[in-house]
Amino acid sequence: MVPTSYYLALSGVLFALGMIGILTRRTAIMMFLSVELMLNAANLALVAFARSWGDLTGQTAVFIVMTLAAAEVAIGLAIIVAIFRKRETTNVDQLAALKG
Amino acid sequence: MMLAFLMLGALAVAGGLLTIGARNAVHAALGLVVTLLSVAGLFATLSASFLAATQVIVYAGAIMVLFLFVIMLLSATQPITERDPVPLVWVAAGIGGTLLASAFAVLALTYRDPVANAAQAQAALRGGSAGAVGEVLLTRFLLPFEAVSVLLLVAIVGSVALVQRPTPEPDRVAELERVRRERELQPAPELARKGRTIKRRQA
Repeated sequence: MVPTSYYLALSGVLFALGMIGILTRRTAIMMFLSVELMLNAANLALVAFARSWGDLTGQTAVFIVMTLAAAEVAIGLAIIVAIFRKRETTNVDQLAALKG
Repeated sequence: MMLAFLMLGALAVAGGLLTIGARNAVHAALGLVVTLLSVAGLFATLSASFLAATQVIVYAGAIMVLFLFVIMLLSATQPITERDPVPLVWVAAGIGGTLLASAFAVLALTYRDPVANAAQAQAALRGGSAGAVGEVLLTRFLLPFEAVSVLLLVAIVGSVALVQRPTPEPDRVAELERVRRERELQPAPELARKGRTIKRRQA
């Protein structure tokens, strides 16, 4: 049986990759993809903890997170499409009208 | 088991690297599909069979199709050629990401299983089958489950409302047309000023 800590380390690496993606990519869609990567890393950690504790609560939480991610993607992509129609770009540096 | 973990883990990391590094948005989305499928495999090795199936159907299926549709709809596939406005952002993010990953790795490798008998703990999961997960979901987590269904409804209505173009009611079209023609004939002073402001902003 693979130790839980290996799964947690892999989850940490995936989360860091997602963070690098958010910091470096400048289009809204690519940042969105990185957010999905981070969500999946967190899901992996939750499932690993569920096995470690012998408790199905972690798996239930992952199910709810997946549903939330689906809702988030639907709304977020709709917002991106609406912005693109108005501004012809999804580059977040050019969408800085509300910057303080 | 260890071999499966190593292969799936390497695939997941490779897909993640492709996701954050690809210049073409479609390639990045396909890299994320690879990661999602490997994570589904990892779920299966963690005796979470229902979640593995859900991951493939919902994530790698539905959500990624939505992503690819939007990428193609916005024709955002072209590589970005302009220079990054923040200097050294890749270096800074790389160092930050490495530090974060090493911190996570240290935390993870010092983790000890709280249950002494790991095999017994795994047996309590009942393989993470749909029946076992559904039982917990519909007893202990019934309220969150119902709240999520309301959230999904709101998301459906919201996304449709966000992307629809504003269409005037049919009986008002003629009236709007008349108003527009009147304005064109004699521009009101404040309207003319507004037009100048818009032009200046666009310049």
